[in-house]
Order: sequence, then structure tokens, then C-alpha cells
Amino acid sequence: MATEVLWWIFAGGIVGASLGVVFSGSVIHSAIFLILSLCGVGAMYALLMVEFLALVQFLIYGGAVTVLILLALKLTRMGSGEKINGRQAPVGAAVALALMAVLISVAVRTSWPGDVSDRPANIAMDLISQKLFLDFGAPFVIASVLLLVALVGAIILARQEDE
Amino acid sequence: MVPLENYLVLSAILFSLGVYGVLARRNAVLILMSVELMLNAVSLNFIAFSVYLDPDRILGAIFAVFVITVAAAEVGLALAIVIRLFRNRATSNVDEAAILKW
Repeated sequence: MATEVLWWIFAGGIVGASLGVVFSGSVIHSAIFLILSLCGVGAMYALLMVEFLALVQFLIYGGAVTVLILLALKLTRMGSGEKINGRQAPVGAAVALALMAVLISVAVRTSWPGDVSDRPANIAMDLISQKLFLDFGAPFVIASVLLLVALVGAIILARQEDE
Repeated sequence: MVPLENYLVLSAILFSLGVYGVLARRNAVLILMSVELMLNAVSLNFIAFSVYLDPDRILGAIFAVFVITVAAAEVGLALAIVIRLFRNRATSNVDEAAILKW
């Protein structure tokens, strides 16, 4: 019961913050709403009892990604009189609404196999680490190489060239 | 307990808001933030499915780890490109950077 109340509070918070991200008129306000929304999703992972991913979500999204985004916003300061939405915004809203209707109807109408209203099982940290290192060792190493390449590439792209 | 459909509907709403943001916004950083919303909706779906339908193999949770990794790499690169664009063209609006040459 308490879990359900918490779930609805967090779900409302996530949807409200996401509305703030896409509808707020100020870029900085959007970024701060984004932090709220990402932390709300982290709380959802905690409610699903996947501790490892909840921690990763808070650290990487709540910390690193939003700091990067705020930094980029500061570095690319826009004039105050600029329009924040393009002319195509009403079409985008129509597409998004249609997509939402389709996705929700699919999610509600499909009869999922298994007992989907049962209490979810805890996905413990040691289970995830066993899976990650024993069964998914090669993808894990490739992902680390990807991160390294992205890091070097970002530095090369953003470097100041004094010629 | 909360049924699986609640998570699916929540992530559908998140994803659609992200789609609207990508289609409607002009600033490249705002578009990137909307992409982050969509990626989060996808991870939430993966994890909800793995908790409810696949608690033994937890492939969804593993996949969410990789989604987060790729999202972090993508954010770093995309912001470097945006800063580069701003330095060269003094704008970060995608509709003002529509020609494919400098």
C-alpha cells in the first residue's frame, strides 16, 4: 500500500518534471527540471528494487550528465529574444500525442505472460555483477573502449585550436 | 503492488514527451535533453520487463547498464559538437546550422 502511494507520487513528479523539460521557456529551467525527472526515474528503479541501477542512475545522470549539460548551456549562451520552439512545434505535438496513444494502448491491451501484478523480485547487486562479468564480459570491455573513444573524441572536437 | 502496466504507461508518456521535445525545440542542447528523456523511458521499460517477466536471467537490467553507458558517451560527444558549432557559427540552434558546409 505504502509502495503504491510512493509510486504515484514519484510518477506524478516524473511526468511533471518532464513536462517542465519540454515546455519551460527558459533553457536553465529545462535543465533543472531534467535533473528532477532523472532522479525520479532513479527512485523508480529503487521501487523496482534494482539497487545497482538506481545508484548508477543517481550518480551518472543526476551527477555527471546534468553537470555536462549545464556547462554546455553556460558555454553556448543564447540571446534572450530568441524563439525557443521552431515553427514545426504543433506538428511535433501531434506526432507525440499519436505516438503516446499508440504506446499506451499497446501497453494496456497486451496480455503479458506470467504474473505481472505480483511483487517484483529483488535484483541484487551480486546477481548483476555475476551476469555482467561472466556472461557479458566481451560487451562490457567493448563498452569501456567505446567510452574511451568517446572521451578522446570529445576532447579533440572541443579543443581550442590556436593556429 | 504496482502492476507492470503502470510502468509501461509511465515510460510511454516519458518517451512521447521526449519525442515532442526533439521535434519542437530549436536549441541543440534542449534537443539533447529530450533525447535523454527518451533514453530514460527505454531503460525504465527494460528494467520493468526484466523485474516482472524475466527475474532469473535479468537481461533487461544488463541491457539498461549498456544503455546508460552509451548515453553517457553520446552526451559527451554531442556537447563537444554543440560547443564546436557555437564557436564556428555563434549559434546552437539546429535550424540555423542547416547547410552541410562551413
